[in-house]
Amino acid sequence: MQDQNQQAYDRGMTIFSPDGRLYQVEYAREAIKRGTASVGVRTADGVVLAADRQVRSPLVEEQSIEKLHRIDDHIAVASAGHVADARQLVDFAREQAQVNRLRYDEPIGVEALAKEVTDYIQRYTQSGGVRPFGVALAMGGVDPDGTPKLFETDPSGTPYEWKATAIGGERETLQGFLEDEYRGDLDLDAGVSLALRALAQSNEDIDPGAVEVTVIDSETHSVRSLDAEEIASHLDELDTGGEADE
Amino acid sequence: MSRFTDPLTGADAVGDPTAPELASGFETDSNAAQDRDEGAVNKTGTTTIGIATEEGVVVATDMRASLGGRFVSNKSVQKVEQIHPTGVLTLVGSVGGAQSFIRTLRSEAELYEVRKGEPMSMHALATLAGNFARGGPFFAINPILGGIDEDGGHVYSIDPAGGVMEDDYTVTGSGMQLAHGTLEGQYDREMSLADARDLAVRAIEAATERDTGSGNGVYVAEVTEEGVDIEGFDETDDAVASR
Repeated sequence: MQDQNQQAYDRGMTIFSPDGRLYQVEYAREAIKRGTASVGVRTADGVVLAADRQVRSPLVEEQSIEKLHRIDDHIAVASAGHVADARQLVDFAREQAQVNRLRYDEPIGVEALAKEVTDYIQRYTQSGGVRPFGVALAMGGVDPDGTPKLFETDPSGTPYEWKATAIGGERETLQGFLEDEYRGDLDLDAGVSLALRALAQSNEDIDPGAVEVTVIDSETHSVRSLDAEEIASHLDELDTGGEADE
Repeated sequence: MSRFTDPLTGADAVGDPTAPELASGFETDSNAAQDRDEGAVNKTGTTTIGIATEEGVVVATDMRASLGGRFVSNKSVQKVEQIHPTGVLTLVGSVGGAQSFIRTLRSEAELYEVRKGEPMSMHALATLAGNFARGGPFFAINPILGGIDEDGGHVYSIDPAGGVMEDDYTVTGSGMQLAHGTLEGQYDREMSLADARDLAVRAIEAATERDTGSGNGVYVAEVTEEGVDIEGFDETDDAVASR
């Protein structure tokens, strides 16, 4: 950052700095860190996505802050970073999912869709007069053969596949927690609990109304949002279970 | 056209579900296609047959190309081609349209497989073929798609307006009524692949006897889980005897 020449590679178009970095892409990753965290957990029978809404004022309607988005019957995404950028990618993914149905009359695979989205993101790191997307997505879904999948997209346009991951602020903390606690044999309920416990790493007083949880069930191939009551009962279990552990 | 464009090329970033991935320079004006001198267009006339059994799929075609069904312009046309590791398509209608259609679908199936890491299902391939026939640049074609996937053997007929219909057995081309006369009552889903082959060859034979657009021998494609085997015979009897 002390490099005097850095400024030349620091603004405007995304071009390489002499040491091979794309500063605009790195700044986009910083933008993602400014938001609250979202978590994705892949279990044996589906994928769980959970997000913490940051409510700046008691006057804001909580439901208007959307961090989890249904993409198709069998795929949903959690977003972290610029909400406006996320909305663009979400709608791109929705259209791409429908194009697959129109073209082949079959639901798109999670990996295929993640790659369509990251290929689109990549174009915004290699074109003039544009900036990269300041958003990361955790894309969870179920393949046509019933396999649950979880992918992450980042501003460089690279897709990553995860068993469990966190995006957004305090990512490292949440990721460390998931690395310690994740097991491959989790069921969906246990996945929801793990996701909520991960979110609690950055916010100890989780308000059921401020948390969004969506599950994609590999049995039904469908996306379902948990209502506040279900989330509250999961959180109650965690409170009692958590104290016993301590 | 979607509202998402590629910032580098300005092209639509979402893609047209009815157009080939690699379409360029195609004639999209269907009136211009219809204005062509029809008498100068090579047609397959044709009888093509697809039969699905438990063991696999047999597709058989005659070998004649003609100008308007009145002059035999070629006597050794291979009208069934592999387009997928376990799928074949027949050429029916305008030779140029059918050949272009085959090349395009072959590329699409390959792209799908390398991108998604698994071969296309026959249903997906038939849907794509129907989209192209309906909205694409392929002129006056009526092919049969036959192949195997995870769900077993499938046979589809694809009409010039993009209609896609699956059946246990199907026939397209100018000799279709004659071939159906042989097939009706003889087909059985449980029949062996060898019996299906003989039935398909005899049905082509019947059509070539009386349909002026069909003749000059038979090509037979057998599709099993192992892949595709295509062979041509000047004499229909040889196609049966080869078993």
